[in-house]
Amino acid sequence: MDLIFLILSTLVFLGGFVFSVTTLRSGKYHPGYTNLILIGVGFLFQCGFLYLRGQLHGRCPITDGAEVLVFIAWSLAIMYFGLGRAFRLSLVGAFTEPILVILHLAALILNLANPVVARPLDSMDPWLEMHAAMSLLAYGAFALAAISGVMFLIQNRQLKSGSPGKLSFNLPPIQYLTDALVRLVGIGLLLLTIGVVSAFFMDKAPSRLHLSVSGGVWFLYLAVLSYHLIKRPPAKWLSIASLIAFAFALLTLSVI
Amino acid sequence: MSIFCLGVNHKTSPLEIRERLAFAEKTLPESLREILEVEEIEETVVLSTCNRVEVYGASEFSERAMDQLSSFLVGHFDVDGHEVDFYRHESEAAAQHLFEVASGLDSMVLGETEIFGQVKKAYKTALEAGVTGRRMNKLFQQSFSIGKLVRNNSKIQHGSTSIGSVAVDVAEKIFGDLKGCGVMIIGAGEMSRTTAQSLVSRGASGIIVSNRSFDKAVELADTLKGRAMRFDDWESALSEVDILIGSTAAPHPVIKADAIEKHMKHRRGRPLFLIDIAVPRDIEEEIRGINNAFLFNIDQLTQIAKDGQERRQEQIIFCRKLIAEHLEEKGIGALKSIPDNGKGPRSIDPNRPITNP
Repeated sequence: MDLIFLILSTLVFLGGFVFSVTTLRSGKYHPGYTNLILIGVGFLFQCGFLYLRGQLHGRCPITDGAEVLVFIAWSLAIMYFGLGRAFRLSLVGAFTEPILVILHLAALILNLANPVVARPLDSMDPWLEMHAAMSLLAYGAFALAAISGVMFLIQNRQLKSGSPGKLSFNLPPIQYLTDALVRLVGIGLLLLTIGVVSAFFMDKAPSRLHLSVSGGVWFLYLAVLSYHLIKRPPAKWLSIASLIAFAFALLTLSVI
Repeated sequence: MSIFCLGVNHKTSPLEIRERLAFAEKTLPESLREILEVEEIEETVVLSTCNRVEVYGASEFSERAMDQLSSFLVGHFDVDGHEVDFYRHESEAAAQHLFEVASGLDSMVLGETEIFGQVKKAYKTALEAGVTGRRMNKLFQQSFSIGKLVRNNSKIQHGSTSIGSVAVDVAEKIFGDLKGCGVMIIGAGEMSRTTAQSLVSRGASGIIVSNRSFDKAVELADTLKGRAMRFDDWESALSEVDILIGSTAAPHPVIKADAIEKHMKHRRGRPLFLIDIAVPRDIEEEIRGINNAFLFNIDQLTQIAKDGQERRQEQIIFCRKLIAEHLEEKGIGALKSIPDNGKGPRSIDPNRPITNP
């Protein structure tokens, strides 16, 4: 049943993306509730998947690569709902859906390769749960920051060309994208800080490699945000930096 | 009993004629009652805007009623009958014409929304003056429904069609909300005034006008409720503005890339929108390469406006189809089928609220 929820969720996100692309191409796209509703439905199926896995393991369902990926996708959907209304109803949904689909497809492949088994803990460690959950929620915020970065770069290019197309008029304004980028990197950093600090209170200390990698991601985002706030470089710099930082964060997942 | 429409508009008559035929708003109720006294006219509504003067009416003998009305208007406005060429529509054609007018399909700026309010106002005035009857009521109520239907189901309003509205759209794609955005105009021309006015209408404020002739700068600044600045000082006020409009008659660029690049370092990431509506250009093209500076010249703005106009033009056939479908469904037949109860316009309660379309 859990896999059915995951497949349904993937299909709904894919449907939303296909809908956005086809309506954009035909010039019939209107900013509206369609993507918001579809991501909402997909999110409910995600919740179903994570709930069943949580019941199976008797703990937070982040016990293998597939669950970690779905948890990040779930965090990304939560961050999307947390955006402002005008922002949420713009093309952000259409840009978020393919990332959700990719994360789910990777999770599905991992699931097929490694059939799920119950992995209960001998004893519950709330600091471990806190560390894992907060870190992955932070990844959700960083993913949405990277998506905003891509949207900024497209909007910037369209406006710089002097002939903005249909896409430009469906994307949020440059200033809103910049503000969202800073806010999302800030929220992600705050969540990751809680996650990293929680690791120091865990019953079983994490490996040196795990700590170094988590610390590396934390330090990278801290450096990006600090440089932006102190030096105020052009927002294009922040967009590219958030993309590179997220790519690095994704790569570290395999180590963690 | 049939409905008719007689009038002139921006397509058939020049401004000189239209302004002579325009009904004064204050005396319109009185004029409406005078029209009702014209032989054969049983009900009437007058739509008088800057782009059209149209008299709608209902009569047993439309042709004769329009002849009488034409003579009345020529006399009323004291114009030479040979100067004015009224167009005439009867029955379905009259209804179709009103529906297209209310939908913005007959407007100078295709798809504009102001006309919808003007049609509503014209009907309300006639209703309150007690000169409408069941036919005019039904006809105008239908026009409101159709106007709304067309706007909601087509893209007739989409896209910007003037330099001013394109500038506003692009500014909103850069800043989002224009509230608090400062605007500087360099060169006090008519185009810069209309562009600045469009921006101000959407919340931009703190207008600064700089011009070689300081008197002209003061004049334009007064119109826009802004402040004037000596031409040599404009660079010092750059930090106060987010939108810079260049429209001088200078033969070479007056806004240099070096100056903007230096200035951008102090903006702390805040974008700058530069609008060059001057020919020859006022703003150096190299500015396009500076981060967070967005430059649009007159050709680019015109092209966007032209695209918008073309997109609206393409929608006309679709809108006409929507109107035809609506007429087929609810139709002009409904107008015809209203039984003549022998009661004229005075049977209508003038205080009856207009149905919200």
